[in-house]
Amino acid sequence: MTIAGKRARFDRSRLGELLAAGLPCAITTLILLVVWEVAVEITGVPAYFIPAPSRIWTAFISGNASLGYHTAITAFEAVAGFVIGSAFGALLGIIFAYSRLVARSLMPYVIASNTIPVVAIAPIIMLWFGSGITAKVAVTAFLSFFPLALNMMKGLQSYDRTVMEVFHVAAATPAQRFFKMRLPSALPYVFVGLKLNVTFSVIGAIVAEFIQSDRGLGFVIMTAYRTLNMPRLWAAMLASALLGIFLFVLVAAIERWLIPWHSSMRETP
Amino acid sequence: MTDTTSSPLVSFRGLDVVFAGEHGTSPVTALENVSLDIEAGQFVSLIGPSGCGKSTLLRVAADLICPSAGHVQVAGRPPAEARLRREIGFVFQDSALLEWRRILANVALPLELQGVAQAERLAKARALLEMVGIAGFENSWPRQLSGGMRQRASIARAMSTSPRVMLMDEPFGALDQITRDRLNLELSQIAEREAMTVVFVTHSIQEAIFLSDKVVVMTPRPGRITHVIDVDLPHPRGLEVRETDRFIELCRLGERLLSEGFHDNRR
Ligand SMILES: Nc1ncnc2c1ncn2[C@@H]1O[C@H](COP(=O)(O)OP(=O)(O)OP(=O)(O)O)[C@@H](O)[C@H]1O
Ligand SMILES: [Mg+2]
Repeated sequence: MTIAGKRARFDRSRLGELLAAGLPCAITTLILLVVWEVAVEITGVPAYFIPAPSRIWTAFISGNASLGYHTAITAFEAVAGFVIGSAFGALLGIIFAYSRLVARSLMPYVIASNTIPVVAIAPIIMLWFGSGITAKVAVTAFLSFFPLALNMMKGLQSYDRTVMEVFHVAAATPAQRFFKMRLPSALPYVFVGLKLNVTFSVIGAIVAEFIQSDRGLGFVIMTAYRTLNMPRLWAAMLASALLGIFLFVLVAAIERWLIPWHSSMRETP
Repeated sequence: MTDTTSSPLVSFRGLDVVFAGEHGTSPVTALENVSLDIEAGQFVSLIGPSGCGKSTLLRVAADLICPSAGHVQVAGRPPAEARLRREIGFVFQDSALLEWRRILANVALPLELQGVAQAERLAKARALLEMVGIAGFENSWPRQLSGGMRQRASIARAMSTSPRVMLMDEPFGALDQITRDRLNLELSQIAEREAMTVVFVTHSIQEAIFLSDKVVVMTPRPGRITHVIDVDLPHPRGLEVRETDRFIELCRLGERLLSEGFHDNRR
């Protein structure tokens, strides 16, 4: 991009900036939808193979009430699992940052736990927690604690050494060092972890529902597949994508609000 | 107050600092048998080639490094106690402001850590920003300030708890000459008005002579004090003092002593 382009973007109002950020994606989406619709029309691909966007949209709208209900279930599981998993992840990251010994003894397990495929571990967790929503929340929490644990640890270790000396000379207590220095300097890392977690949490909830459930988007996808109701399956996919995007944007907004000072938040690229 | 007026405010006696070598490298003797007294209200500069232990000396006084041998007293106490009593202010070469705090909150930080009430500490921080000449930038983020302004904020922060000893490690090292001159003049005025006791590290002889009552010349490997120049220029000093014969004479003396030490060391 040219320098003039950068400057123009910088000068625009907040709303204008948002529009400018969203516009390229909106245009791409529009083109994609039109091409998709026309291609399906021309080639006459059967709807169970690839439904046209208009059919997915109809399924999305007509299944509104039930889709909304199932999306809400999945959203609840995802958010609850995200909160619990992130809380555990944050705690673990803090412990790791403060104790090298604990980090060395437990880190291999944490990494191993992250490499286990969720489809393998989810049935086991569901066995422990039953078939209700708790089990889905547990699977989601399990999936979404790792990124924050790692990023929290890295963030807490990434403080500026001279700033630490400023705190030392000013006779800061260990608690003051943590809350007024290490935690604020860790925040950019924390949000990297949280943004990863929030996307994983939707996946976690849906996979758990997939394995065994009577509600939620995973359940919808499953039953739609069994009955070959492909437009409904695609509509559920759309709902899960929208849910993921919504949660991600929410976390990003909180990030913007909490750390306006950070370089990644600067208006100029 | 425990110390009498006759005893120095900062004193080093037979100070040795040896850094253990890492990964099989041999230990480094950063300071060897260094003794120095600094009286209350004095402005003392440390000058010497890179690696002669200037920073190390300051850091020992601020309880950032433990000496291997010798005695150190700051405001009549060991450095660790003086630090906990908030008798020490330290200005680093890198302004080390907290990126996530606005300038006012940065300057008020030491008072906040001390537990001073918010209204009081903010009022004090405002007054200090005024004193160091950056009033009006209270609500800026550090990254929005120039290097010189950041360093002003850093000095205000170090002064916030009204420490009895101010330690400054090349605070103006990264600034251009004109900004540096201005800050020198202002620092000299502030130090005089507040009767500050300052230990100041610099690589510039002119800066050292201009600011100081005493210039301590050091040599490296091992770090030692070789000479102490008494600067008998009258106070208050304006920048024009640098045109006087006495100033030029003192600078020449400083340069000579500095290069002597350097050549001695090379033999
Ligand atoms: N933490 C440390 N570990 C090991 N060696 C160190 C450490 N700090 C300083 N030294 C060594 O001690 C000596 C003195 O260092 P110091 O930083 O005090 O020098 P200085 O006079 O401040 O130099 P400069 O003018 O470059 O800032 C150097 O040889 C340096 O390598
Ligand atoms: Mg140094």
